[in-house]
Amino acid sequence: MDKKWYTFGTREVVFAALGAALYGVLSWATNMLALPAAGNIALRPAVCIPIFFGIVFGPWVGLISGLVGNIIGDALSGWGFWIWWDIGNGLMGMLPGFAAQMITSYRDAKSLVIADVFVILGVVVGIGFASLSEIFVSGLDFATAFGGYFVPAALTNIINGIILVPILMVAYSAIAARTGR
Amino acid sequence: MLVAWKYKERNTLVQRLDPRARWIFLISVMFSITQFWDIRFLLFFFALSFAHYFLARLTWKETRRVWMFVLILVVVIIGINAVLTGRGGPGAVLKGSKHIVWQIKWVVPGINWTIHPNITVEKLVFAVTQMVRMLSITVLFLPLPFTMNPNVYGATFRGLGLPDKFAFSMDLAFRFVPTLARDFSITFDSQRARGYEVEKLEGGLIAQIRKMAPLVVPVTINAIVGGEDIVNAMDLRCFGLRKRTWVHKLEYKPRDYVLIALGVLILAGSTFVNVGLGLGDFWVPEWALRLFGF
Repeated sequence: MDKKWYTFGTREVVFAALGAALYGVLSWATNMLALPAAGNIALRPAVCIPIFFGIVFGPWVGLISGLVGNIIGDALSGWGFWIWWDIGNGLMGMLPGFAAQMITSYRDAKSLVIADVFVILGVVVGIGFASLSEIFVSGLDFATAFGGYFVPAALTNIINGIILVPILMVAYSAIAARTGR
Repeated sequence: MLVAWKYKERNTLVQRLDPRARWIFLISVMFSITQFWDIRFLLFFFALSFAHYFLARLTWKETRRVWMFVLILVVVIIGINAVLTGRGGPGAVLKGSKHIVWQIKWVVPGINWTIHPNITVEKLVFAVTQMVRMLSITVLFLPLPFTMNPNVYGATFRGLGLPDKFAFSMDLAFRFVPTLARDFSITFDSQRARGYEVEKLEGGLIAQIRKMAPLVVPVTINAIVGGEDIVNAMDLRCFGLRKRTWVHKLEYKPRDYVLIALGVLILAGSTFVNVGLGLGDFWVPEWALRLFGF
């Protein structure tokens, strides 16, 4: 892939907006549906969106998809504003964007494994930032922030992400050739 | 599945303010609150946050769901944690003299490990302080989705210094929401007509997550395909070559300058009190000690 990682042209503007809107709508919609949960792991398919958009379109798109998408999701649900969690979601989408330079194909096993590694990295950094910021904002101790916030959220996002992101990548590969870019 | 913003047009002072001024004020007050652990200072911010909330004139029906969530979070997670552990915050709660109100000694059977949980006056005051602090920050931002027009987010953040393309992307995101919600609804209904029931996914965790794909993949890929057309249309209209103008033109009025000045003053004052004068650390009132017989 020849595109520079910091590129933010028309394409990135539109797909960042799409990613944000998709993340917001899917978060809101899947909250409304009574999705089952397995122990501490909830079904949160929406979480794959900022990560996938970051991988395919670059880190800036991932950042906006996560950050603005979380704002939209909270605005639709009426949850208020949780700025540090918005930034955390933005980081969760941004970091996998740096994998875009290493991914040569959206179908081959090596690229899918690289994507999954960056899913884990993105979630750990993003959710870690959001959880640990509670120490500063809410005055929690490290154990509560880590055990009560980070572990359940990160585990949920990692498991949902490493399964759904490769599926989206393979689906995207079918249409990628059509864009001619 | 109809998606609707929680925002409603209301003739209130809060909604007449420029959104940029509101953001500057809210961020300034938030950073001011995080500098204090003394409940006497925090009660001022608590009153300020609730004054802002009541000026927004939100109804209980609109906000009850988020209030339930906030109260459970604040009282159960933060309050109980503060009482049981006293950890977090300034750390002064666990140092110095402790006035024990209740304690128990329990030996874990099998490993003979002795646990001494206790509740002290300091921990009780810390729990109340932490709840006041958390509520002050949360309630400060709670009215935002209900009182800020989604159409002006892009213009607002552009006005606050965000680059043109980022601000436009944000604006576009809000505009895509109804279209994508409609697409999701169509996909959901189509898949249900084919026997796909998202509420009754079977199998283990991994299988259930994989079975979300028929809901997520079509909506996402459809959005990306549509996005390519939008990119082409924007490129043909020379998007990005010149500085943008915005449909919603924001103009500061005197009351907005007053609000910005107030926010900056509160932040500067808080920083001076905290850093300059060294005030604002955790404080246990004398009457609280007398209340428990100390």
